[in-house]
Amino acid sequence: MSVPQQELNRDIKQLIIDSLGLEDISAQDIEDDQTLFGEGLGLDSVDALELGLAIQKRYGIKIDADAKDTRNHFTNVASLVAFVTARQAA
Amino acid sequence: MITVNISQWCAWAPGLQTRADWQAWATGNVSASAVTQAPDVSFLPALQRRRLSTLARMAFAVGWPLAEGLEKLPLVFVSRHGETPRTFAILSELARQEPLSPTQFSLSVHNAVIGLWSIMRGETSEMTAIAATDDGFEHGMLEAAGLLNDGSPAVLLIIAEDAPPAAYRQWIDDVPFAYAVGLLLTPGKQWQLSSSVAADVPAADLPHALSWLRATLNGQNGFIHSGKRCTWNWQHRP
Repeated sequence: MSVPQQELNRDIKQLIIDSLGLEDISAQDIEDDQTLFGEGLGLDSVDALELGLAIQKRYGIKIDADAKDTRNHFTNVASLVAFVTARQAA
Repeated sequence: MITVNISQWCAWAPGLQTRADWQAWATGNVSASAVTQAPDVSFLPALQRRRLSTLARMAFAVGWPLAEGLEKLPLVFVSRHGETPRTFAILSELARQEPLSPTQFSLSVHNAVIGLWSIMRGETSEMTAIAATDDGFEHGMLEAAGLLNDGSPAVLLIIAEDAPPAAYRQWIDDVPFAYAVGLLLTPGKQWQLSSSVAADVPAADLPHALSWLRATLNGQNGFIHSGKRCTWNWQHRP
């Protein structure tokens, strides 16, 4: 991972913690490939909406909630980093 | 007229947690702390408690110990003002033309607390959320008495109010401090509650649930709470 990618990775982990009120965990506790929703970190559908909103606000990108691949972008931190990078470049 | 037994109670306010704290409060020796704080609800898993507002934390803190070991326990939740900090946050976002937080929005409704209670306890008994005016305590008691009359062996009644955001304080004058009172009600005749047409009785100097608690701790066996539409007469037969 390049340096900007590493920063984005840390930034997104912190955004997950802050926007979802995960007060008892830190960015190091979230693995890049850990499943965020359902299994893994154990987040739910309200978290998905909240995180989607936080990412749109933070990175100034638009997320289409109905698009088929949106669910895949939210699989884990690695997929979110790839998604935000691609959208910011576009 | 209704009659009930109040088998147990539990109350929380900033600085007032134990029975001894409340006893000292009832005799006028201590007051609630002016510091904003929320009760400890670490008996809940972190992932579940993170979304609980102060109002929900207070309701859980007083209700959880009373519900211990009881299954199929109907719940009547009473709050006059509800989640004012959440609704104010949502209205502020609207005013700034920002998108609304889905978490704040989904938990701002009046029955959010009983919904969370149901999920976290796996409780599917009947639950009701009431917002009355200044006599929600008595209306909640009526609702609970109805559930007892329908055959429930016990009913949990929780009355909770959070301190409103500063912007509302000019209009909300009946929340001296954030508080929650939980009562475990069972069928019986220890307490008798009757209503009559509104008499010219001055309003209670405390919200009715706290006034009830103070009277109970001071061993007062009869007192009156005046509401807008009727006067409530409480009698205790120990």
